[in-house]
Amino acid sequence: MDSRLSNSSSSNHHSNSKKRKKNATANNANQKTLGVAWGSKSLSASCSSRKSPFSDFSSYMAHKNCKLQNQFDSEASASAARNTIFSGVSIFVDGFTVPSSQELRGYMLKYGGRFENYFSRHCVTHIICSNLPDSKVKNIRAFSAGLPVVKPTWILDSIAANRLLSWVPYQLEQVASNQPKLSAFFTLKSSKMSEDTSTNALCQVEPDVEDSFPRVGQLKERHPSEAGEMVEVCRQISNESNDISSKKTDVFMMEEPISERVICDEEKLAEANSSETNNERNTEGELDPTYQEPSTSVSIPCSDNQNVHQFPSSEATGSSKQCHSTLTDPNFVENYFKNSRLHFIGTWRQRYRKRFPTLSTGLNNGISNSNKSDINSVILHVDMDCFFVSVVIRDKPALLDKPVAVCHSNNSKGTSEISSANYPARSYGIRAGMFVRDAKALCPHLVTFPYNFEAYEEVADQFYSILHRHCNKVQAVSCDEAFLDFTDAMVEDPELLASSIRKEIYETTRCTASAGIGGNMLMARIATRTAKPNGQCYITPERVDDHLNQLPVDALPGIGYVLQEKLKKQSVHTCGQLRMISKNSLQKEYGMKTGEMLWNYSRGIDYRSVGIIQECKSIGADVNWGVRFRDMKDCEHFLINLCKEVSLRLQCCGVQGRTFTLKIKKRRKDADEPAKFMGCGDCENLTHSVTIPLATENVEILQRIVKQLLGCFYIDVKEIRGIGLHVSRLENADTSKQGTEKYTLKSWLTSGSASVKKQKYHMGHNKHNSDCANCASSHGCIHSQGSSFQIDNKILNIHVSGDPISTPPPLCQLDVEVIRNLPSEVFSELNEIYGGKLIDFIAKGKGKCESSSSLGNSLEDDAAICKEEDLPYSDPIPLNQIFSENKAMQHERVLGSGHGSCSQVTHNSNIERDDLLPSSLSQIDASVLQQIPEDLKAVILEHLPAHRAQAFCSTPAICPGRINQDSVGVDTSKNCPGTVNHALNDSLRAGNLPSWMDKFKDSSCLRKLREIYHRSGFNSQLSSVLPQFLSEFHHLDLTQEIYDETVNIMCELLKQYVKVKIERDIEEIYICFRLLKRFAVKSQFFSRVYNDIFPFLQAAVDDNYGGSLFMP
Amino acid sequence: MQRKENETPQGQAASVLVEFLEVAITAVVFLKGVYPSGAFERRRYMNVVVQRARHPQLRYYIHATVSGLLPFLQKGMVDRVAVVFFNTDNVPLEKFIFKLTVNQSYGSSVEGVDLQISLRSFLAKLSVSESLTKKLPPDCRWEITGNFQLLPETGTSKEANFWIPTDTKQWEQPLFITPIRSMSSDPLCLQFYIEHPSLSESSVLREGNSEL
Repeated sequence: MDSRLSNSSSSNHHSNSKKRKKNATANNANQKTLGVAWGSKSLSASCSSRKSPFSDFSSYMAHKNCKLQNQFDSEASASAARNTIFSGVSIFVDGFTVPSSQELRGYMLKYGGRFENYFSRHCVTHIICSNLPDSKVKNIRAFSAGLPVVKPTWILDSIAANRLLSWVPYQLEQVASNQPKLSAFFTLKSSKMSEDTSTNALCQVEPDVEDSFPRVGQLKERHPSEAGEMVEVCRQISNESNDISSKKTDVFMMEEPISERVICDEEKLAEANSSETNNERNTEGELDPTYQEPSTSVSIPCSDNQNVHQFPSSEATGSSKQCHSTLTDPNFVENYFKNSRLHFIGTWRQRYRKRFPTLSTGLNNGISNSNKSDINSVILHVDMDCFFVSVVIRDKPALLDKPVAVCHSNNSKGTSEISSANYPARSYGIRAGMFVRDAKALCPHLVTFPYNFEAYEEVADQFYSILHRHCNKVQAVSCDEAFLDFTDAMVEDPELLASSIRKEIYETTRCTASAGIGGNMLMARIATRTAKPNGQCYITPERVDDHLNQLPVDALPGIGYVLQEKLKKQSVHTCGQLRMISKNSLQKEYGMKTGEMLWNYSRGIDYRSVGIIQECKSIGADVNWGVRFRDMKDCEHFLINLCKEVSLRLQCCGVQGRTFTLKIKKRRKDADEPAKFMGCGDCENLTHSVTIPLATENVEILQRIVKQLLGCFYIDVKEIRGIGLHVSRLENADTSKQGTEKYTLKSWLTSGSASVKKQKYHMGHNKHNSDCANCASSHGCIHSQGSSFQIDNKILNIHVSGDPISTPPPLCQLDVEVIRNLPSEVFSELNEIYGGKLIDFIAKGKGKCESSSSLGNSLEDDAAICKEEDLPYSDPIPLNQIFSENKAMQHERVLGSGHGSCSQVTHNSNIERDDLLPSSLSQIDASVLQQIPEDLKAVILEHLPAHRAQAFCSTPAICPGRINQDSVGVDTSKNCPGTVNHALNDSLRAGNLPSWMDKFKDSSCLRKLREIYHRSGFNSQLSSVLPQFLSEFHHLDLTQEIYDETVNIMCELLKQYVKVKIERDIEEIYICFRLLKRFAVKSQFFSRVYNDIFPFLQAAVDDNYGGSLFMP
Repeated sequence: MQRKENETPQGQAASVLVEFLEVAITAVVFLKGVYPSGAFERRRYMNVVVQRARHPQLRYYIHATVSGLLPFLQKGMVDRVAVVFFNTDNVPLEKFIFKLTVNQSYGSSVEGVDLQISLRSFLAKLSVSESLTKKLPPDCRWEITGNFQLLPETGTSKEANFWIPTDTKQWEQPLFITPIRSMSSDPLCLQFYIEHPSLSESSVLREGNSEL
């Protein structure tokens, strides 16, 4: 081990060395099977305490080892052996051998080898034995720690040959045949590796295989971690020199140390594949320490210590940093949930419902009218006995009374948790949630099995089909537990029924079940508790009190650890004691609900009725294991997968959610690496959530939300140990879909015009523009009458402004108005594109425009307006909408095409975005809004309040009575000034600011107002136009402009405006008049207007509000 | 915010409105400083910071009053809801008026987002409107009044019995209105403004106060 490495890892060094010590003792405890098993790691502990007499057994052993080594060294030097056949070889003799261990020791002395009295993975290179008990053969890795197990004849033959022979032929047959094949496991992943790299690697490795060990040791010193792998490879290859396929996979291991190692270490994930390979893999992770210690350096014990310290630290960093499970496995999330028991249980209900759909729904209906407090009710609670274990061992009757547990890992040092243990195992004190290593310490012969989810599902299905056959009121609690209501079935003997059900379950599934019968769900459950395992119990109403009296409180459902502790403080241990407390004081102490529950339950009262299926309130997924990120990219990649998972679950349940909560487990500052391998350890839990207006299950929206949420944390991704995403405020997808489907951009695009969609993709490079298109299309989608017209405009717009390369649309799709209003240079350009047909088209279009009730209203062209105004509005309601909208569209189009270049269009559309905005929020399609990028959405929302008032202006449907007047032609306003008021009245009553704005064109000052109005982007709020007007107004020579008529028109305008707004938007009026008052100080014109209009205003306010407007 | 399917748009708007009024009235009371600021705690509603009364009775008063409005709001019977601050003589000094119009003919569904965003602007505006209001004398009181378009018959419904006629005197002179915020998002149109007594009246009031 070089010093560089120790320096580089010095930061971790102290904590790691401390931890290693702990581990070392833990290791020792686990090596009991080996008889004498004291690792040289414990030596490290002793060196520091050498001066003191042995503080404990381990330091004594370390000392003894030192002494034995010194003895051996001195004897070796005394024997003056010059022969060094065995240099670098250090043997440990296990059990009875011929020749005896003492003879072997003599040989080693003589021929330069070493002999260890006590096994240590760090000193020993070979284990010599001639026979092994079966248990050791089965668990060969735990026994040999991956070291070669060789027959003693190897030593004798080597001496005879006077050179170190390869030990491979001398390997113990039992072990050699037992060697598990990695190939089965690795071929899946590594098949993509090309053949030639593997042969290459083989070439490199081959010489080492033949080699003597010192060289390997040298190699190791250069690249400790790699060399560890190397040695591994060498050994493996010599182990199985016949087996080519396994050779290859071993080489892969070296080639891809990072990824493969991770898979090795990920007990949880990979284990499901096969428990055998698992066994092997787990020990592999521990191999490096074994080999890091070259046998030649034994003479300096202190350096041992150093190395022992250093290597683990480098290894630790190696495993925690390189071997990111979330990093290296691209499908981590998927695999994680594939192997998660909780996930299985969580999603089981969904599968159950799908399987028994009619039963579970029909049940619900039946329940609602059933009498809750039926005295003679009979409830049966059926629960499978240690379901997860018994399903796995149902085909292995030999294991029936052996301690068996289900767990991800079989490693005796593993930190994977026991998920279920059978009754023999429980008698050893093994409980669910325990680490395997603790369980194995309690019961060394514990047999562990991996999960078998298919089997669980199969058995659960069998279980439920039996239950459903017997009873039509079944409430599933979990995959292995259910309540049955036999009240209506008039059962003669419930016990008989229960035993027949249990018998049937056993015969079908070969797993036992326990049953409890009671008058309600609570009692049935409590009865099951007494009945377990494999029994049944009937608590008749008479026996309820007796039974409950001595029942510990924590046996009641709903009483967890916290509540139990609280009750203990009140010295309440049994239900009998609980009954002493009055309901009131219980409710005071524990809250209304909990108090009542305690009071009821302690008396055996339970009003719940069988069959009420709780709707899930939130759906989500948490990953708290194996989460390690190197950088933001990893984290985002992980989140994307998590979103997919959550989205799938939502879809599975057929719901959509509105609130999204991201939970993050952040490593506490001072927290060590967790005890559980790749676990989350001591963490802070942080959450952020966001609620969106429209429920969704869309994975892309989810991803966007989640990314945003992650940003809220301001967290270093390296600190993240767990992530969960939950969706709540669930809504049924079907109903919400019906409502929104027709409004979504997508459906509109697909149904409305496929070509638009296509165009949009063309425009993909010009993102902004297409966003505008989104706005516009949402618009169009709302006003369905206008939509088809607008689509065409849209296409044109895109073509003209954005995408000059694509082919122009057919002539018939062009909007005449637009073409006509194009600047001349653009028009000629377009004309060229269409080969001169445009001119004809325009001429034709003019006629068309006049004959049809055209919507196009050119703002720039007075002539067009003349024509326009001649036309009566036949259908004012939709027209009003389309009218203003069309203008907006045109405006943008004109501007956009005027510049003709892509980038400038983008820029312009930015400014003109207001035009495209719907005039009020109510016109916005929320689903569209949702799909707009965040920043854009913010801008839109920011702009919307300014448009607020147009909501009633532009939606005349509010006041249908007024629209009738609208059919009067407006052209009169121009021709005969006398009727101007009337005309204004009409147009204003219709509430459309744009149309009355046109009336000002004959007055130079008011024309200005109109221009400003146009420039402001057709904002219908007068208050937003006025300030600009004032600033412009100063430039005009006002003294020349003040005519009575102008003042009159202005007054009339304001009057109309007041009339329209007073009832519903006094704020707008207030703002306008305060502005006006301010202008009045500066301008004579406005002061006249203000003075004229003010009495009218106050009268109007008084009419509506019974007071006068307070003008400060 | 999950609304029942069968609810009318008016009903939906009314229930949102009731929720909003509770917050807004608390905000007004907080703004006017009738109670020490310690009597309120910061909360978040519709994503803006609002105040909530700490004292359970105060909270209950506001909550119960506004909830009592709900059935009438749904029917569109409530013309305005006012928070009235008055002095010891029961002469109102300042009124905060919520004038409501619930469009009964509106048929389509309510977009919760619109309402929320519009209503939120009220709360935002209110929090910066202190300068528009008058300073109150130290020993003033306040109440919530509801102006109904027609008086509900007391015997008929339980909800109606909840309401009692107010003792507060009316202003004799015309009053002044200072609009704060208006919004209209179908089916709900809401205007929020302050009413002050006319200058002459308020000066009389001030004199009267000084005599006291």
